[in-house]
Amino acid sequence: MEQILANGVYLGSQYAMIALGLTLIFALMNVLNFAHGQMYVIGGFVTYTFYGQWGVPFVLALVMSCVTLAILGALIERYLFAPVIKGSAREESTMLLAAGIAFFLDAVILLVFGEKQRGVPKIVDGVFNYDFRLIMPYDRILICVLAILSIVAFIGLMQYTKTGRALRALAQDRTAAQLMGVNVDRYSMIGFALGAMLAGLVGGLLVTITGVNLGMGGPTSIKAFMMVMIGGAGVISGAIWGGIILGFMEAIGLAVLYQYGDITYLLIFVSLMIFLAIRPQGLMGKPWG
Amino acid sequence: MSPLLQVKNVTKKYGGLTANNDISFDVAENEILSVIGPNGAGKSTLFKMISSFTPTTSGEVLYRGERISNLKPHIVARKGVVRTFQETTIFKSMTVRESVVVAQHLRAKASLAGYFWGSRTAQEDVTAFEKYADELLEFLGMTAISNEQASNLPQGSLRALGIAIGLATDPKVLLLDEPFAGMNHDETMNMVNLVRSVRDERGVTVMLVEHDMPAVMNISDRIVVLNFGEKIAEGTPSEIQNNEKVIEAYLGSVDDEIGM
Amino acid sequence: MFGFTAKQLTGVGIFLFVLFIGVPLIIGATGRWDFYFTLTSVALLAIASAGVWLTFYIGRINIGQGAFALIGAYVSAILVVKAGWSFWISLPAAGIFAAIVAILIGLPILRLRGVYFAMITLVLTQVVTLTALALPITNGAKGISNIPLPSGVSLFGIPILPDFAGMENTKLAFYYTACILMVITYAALYRLVNSRLGHLCRSMQQNEELASSIGVNIAYIRIVIFAISSFFGGIGGAMFGSIAQSVYPSSFQVADSVNFMLNCFLGGLGFVFGPMLGTLVLYFGWDLLFEFGKYQMLIYSTILILIIRFLPNGLLSLRFGKGGDK
Repeated sequence: MEQILANGVYLGSQYAMIALGLTLIFALMNVLNFAHGQMYVIGGFVTYTFYGQWGVPFVLALVMSCVTLAILGALIERYLFAPVIKGSAREESTMLLAAGIAFFLDAVILLVFGEKQRGVPKIVDGVFNYDFRLIMPYDRILICVLAILSIVAFIGLMQYTKTGRALRALAQDRTAAQLMGVNVDRYSMIGFALGAMLAGLVGGLLVTITGVNLGMGGPTSIKAFMMVMIGGAGVISGAIWGGIILGFMEAIGLAVLYQYGDITYLLIFVSLMIFLAIRPQGLMGKPWG
Repeated sequence: MSPLLQVKNVTKKYGGLTANNDISFDVAENEILSVIGPNGAGKSTLFKMISSFTPTTSGEVLYRGERISNLKPHIVARKGVVRTFQETTIFKSMTVRESVVVAQHLRAKASLAGYFWGSRTAQEDVTAFEKYADELLEFLGMTAISNEQASNLPQGSLRALGIAIGLATDPKVLLLDEPFAGMNHDETMNMVNLVRSVRDERGVTVMLVEHDMPAVMNISDRIVVLNFGEKIAEGTPSEIQNNEKVIEAYLGSVDDEIGM
Repeated sequence: MFGFTAKQLTGVGIFLFVLFIGVPLIIGATGRWDFYFTLTSVALLAIASAGVWLTFYIGRINIGQGAFALIGAYVSAILVVKAGWSFWISLPAAGIFAAIVAILIGLPILRLRGVYFAMITLVLTQVVTLTALALPITNGAKGISNIPLPSGVSLFGIPILPDFAGMENTKLAFYYTACILMVITYAALYRLVNSRLGHLCRSMQQNEELASSIGVNIAYIRIVIFAISSFFGGIGGAMFGSIAQSVYPSSFQVADSVNFMLNCFLGGLGFVFGPMLGTLVLYFGWDLLFEFGKYQMLIYSTILILIIRFLPNGLLSLRFGKGGDK
């Protein structure tokens, strides 16, 4: 029981960070970022290269992951999403663009990092063992703590800084924010960069535990979509709840239904469908038409 | 004779907020009845409940003695009670004529499969729809714009298009949502005449929700006044004009809405 | 006939001629027999894309067609291999099974709109893949291989469909079969879109509230359309499985679902034949880029991004100009 709880917290904190980035981008620009999983993978590979290959301290490697993804996100927003949003008759075009970018990033990952699964040396050794009821390697605990700290920092940023306030205003009502004097173009870019950075940060954190490979992008995006749907798209508290709930469902499912393999996800999906039938806007989302 | 439409003790609550509290009134056949009230009086909520676009919390709406509240909008429409929308709710990329043809689908005699295979009944239907659309557009004075795409129309024509779409379903009761909003005096007078001729020549009972007091006074047989979700008065235009509660309610709200 | 103009009939005539006579002649002359497989795939993927396009027509972004193609492929394979059915009976059965699944899933999820519907259909693809891995009847990751080729069908002793296994050139036979299915699909789609059901779909696409106010049972039509859409997906998938003679959980994945959507977007959502064109361009383009080896994906996605960046309203918007929403 304690083990499942601990696994749930651990998974949930990682998931919540992925969902936060996706939901932030969605709230700001109404863009469903298909490439989110690929950004996560790139984050993982950057940390792998700096920390695993070149022996740069882990924290510095993490920073590099964040910086790389923030720049990438900013460029993608500035030169691809922003002009397409302006020039297209249907908002669905952004979805097409996002899918194209996901393919593109997959191709880049393949060319630069190859197909192989990559891992890095453990950041700390040892296993926390409480009476064999709760077993958790120290590196997982550390990663989990770092993830929670990052989430807290992100919420702090959104609540208390000028940038955060501008982003929230933008998410709530684009036109109103513009009238209030928020530089919409600039903050869209910052928001997108921030969302991408979160994906990269989780990638960098998790590479120490699960390693990283090319094929992780798509499934990660899909999990992020599920979390966002559970919590309600475009709502920060929703993303966190969605991450925690999916993390726990997975932890419980994998523990209880271990011998049935991937049936856990089928059950999660069926419950998600039933849940959405009752509450289409998700847990925290606002009701819509 | 029992009234055509009965609103009986209808209440709507959103969480702790009461949008409509215990509202009752009747609409007689061939009548034009207006529901008025200051902003936030609960007019549009009431309107949505009558057309089943939102369920009631308690109470019911009857049409010819049959309950039509808490159903689905399309079922209410099939029974003959059809609402219109304000001008933004249209079929944007259809022409005026196409919109009116589509809106007649309740009159179809052939099945959907019949249309797919192009059966004789389906072809007759199509011809009949187009003929009726032209007739209806002529009646509404819209022949000249019948091939315009809806998204290109000016505001006044959009309002008329909304009514044309509603009328095309062959309703017994037409519910109009603020048909005069944002119109100048001449446009309003045209619309008043149009609504009146819909009633006089097509035998359609009209219930409308509106802000514009002079137009309402002009057009209505009877008026129901709401304030803060409660019905505060009901009567003929002259009765309403002299009702103290009504004057109070309107003086207490935005000045420009009095207009009397 | 059906109110076609002479010009339209000529166009259809030329298209059919090229499809059934021209292409085989060209392939015979150039000796590029591999194009048969490419074009057969295009035809089958175009059938599945037609379904996706139809859900777009009621204003839903469907990224779940891979799920229904996979379901169709498995149903047909299981019926042929395990129950000994003739492929030709398993084909409609696969379509109908996919449609029934679509109805069951559609009841809750079709209430969702916009990106919400898009997200959940995408998740659906992943879930069907995982289910195929987990269920005993689908054989897990090993999949179902060695599916026999379609057998012959005869009615009262007269052969109607030939036995594929006894043929010298199954490539040509599959090409013709796929093309015939595609032509039937698009003819049906064209009729549907231009009949009353199509008009009701259009009214829903543009405004669901207004559509329901004129008496359109929007929930019912959504289900019907989603079922038809998934039927197409099931048929396309089943036929694909038969050609490959195998089905694996990875036969149709999330990327395939996304590709079906891309085919529709790229061809243009306003045109019935858009998805066919989109499928041809994307699949052929992908195939032609094969020569670039490991840079294939990079070039492909770059072109894709550039097209969206500079032609956000689809390829056919080039010819028809702005506002071609019919």
